[in-house]
Amino acid sequence: MARTRYVRKLKELRQNVVDMGAATMQSVEYVTTSLETSDSALAERAIANDNVIDTFDRKIEAQCMSLLALEQPMAKDLRLIATSLKMITDLERIGDFVVDIAEEVISMAKPIRIPVSATKFNELVDEVKSMVADSIVTYAEGNVQKARSFEGRDDSIDTLYKNIVDNTVSMLAQSQCSMETVADVASLLYIIRYLERIADHAVNIGNRVCYMEEGDRRYMK
Amino acid sequence: MNNAIEISVKNLNLWFGKFQALKNISIEIQKNQVTALIGPSGCGKSTFIKTLDRMNDLVDNVKTTGEVLYQGMNILDSDTDVVELRKQIGMVFQKPNPFPKSIFDNVAYGPRVHGVRKKHNLNEVVERSLKAAALWEEVKDRLNESALRLSGGQQQRLCIARLLAVEPDVLLMDEPASALDPIATSKIEDLIYELKNDYTIIIVTHNMQQAARVASNTAFFYLGELIEYAPTIDLFERPQDKRTEDYVTGKFG
Repeated sequence: MARTRYVRKLKELRQNVVDMGAATMQSVEYVTTSLETSDSALAERAIANDNVIDTFDRKIEAQCMSLLALEQPMAKDLRLIATSLKMITDLERIGDFVVDIAEEVISMAKPIRIPVSATKFNELVDEVKSMVADSIVTYAEGNVQKARSFEGRDDSIDTLYKNIVDNTVSMLAQSQCSMETVADVASLLYIIRYLERIADHAVNIGNRVCYMEEGDRRYMK
Repeated sequence: MNNAIEISVKNLNLWFGKFQALKNISIEIQKNQVTALIGPSGCGKSTFIKTLDRMNDLVDNVKTTGEVLYQGMNILDSDTDVVELRKQIGMVFQKPNPFPKSIFDNVAYGPRVHGVRKKHNLNEVVERSLKAAALWEEVKDRLNESALRLSGGQQQRLCIARLLAVEPDVLLMDEPASALDPIATSKIEDLIYELKNDYTIIIVTHNMQQAARVASNTAFFYLGELIEYAPTIDLFERPQDKRTEDYVTGKFG
């Protein structure tokens, strides 16, 4: 095998992106658990963890630029670097949405109640978590088959999202809620919006993995 | 690849004695485009371009089969006028090889061989060719100086001007910048980019970045075979053959 040092650098890059993905997943876990358990301290941890994600972002970007400038990568190597460079932005954005959700959790009255569509809400949370985890696995494994399933899963998330929003709006229209409840419901609407956006970034990652593996840009939006 | 075809090669095989250097090569070279040939040493890329102006005739024991169609004729046919062919399809070599003559006489050499005698006409051809080779501004005040006093990069552009003076259709370049420093190399690359408006260019290069910079299409040769031929962006971003992938990512062997 030629270019041993270069191959090692590519491997390190890939590992760092996977580690950044794991850190992002950790944040998602913290914040969704804080929501379930009304645990503001855990929400604070999710916010603090954003620094870890941002540090990875800067480090990996520098790694990619160095590989591009010094190694003249081609073909699959070039696609790995391009994918990594784009994917860290998706992960970083997921981290930012986690911070947004955590801030809502902290501001909400405790214990947090999901006043409407609680089952669907939990379904949404679980599916978003699962998509983020899977997006990182697809990158680590180069699993195109799994990556291609993301579009369909995203459609389900969009349906869930719309369903919860509609039910919540109807509920608000029909009931005489206190100001506090209305504020918490508004927070929940924000939260489901952020969750839906997180899923969009997971879909982006899946599409980029298809490109990385097969050079096919059709899946990239 | 929708452009007009300048040269169409069909099932080309070439042997040096018992050694088969080219194996069943079929490729269409687009007119007014730069086509790069890449591949490891000994893969046949230089042998291939030498076939296009019958330079391999100079080697003993060469046998070729197949067709190289240019302007409707198979240039491998024994009745091909090789002198006329090399006027149409000229070659620039790895090391600049100006004649030990003045700058002017180097460029005027070809037109004189082909019968241009009048001083006025020669002046015109020399100026036009040196301008086209992006050398005129640097040498216009010293046309009678020896070409050997020029820098390596200038000598290479002079060799290109010498070629342009006989008004060819196709320029074959065998590693034209490998003996040059990065600045002289970038001048040659800029020149190649300009020249493709008027000429069809085929360049052999070991420098993949150079192929990526100058060529519209790139062909990868390996062990005498044409492995892959595609628009340059495709060949370097998403090669189809594993051997191409391994070569362009530098993981050969």
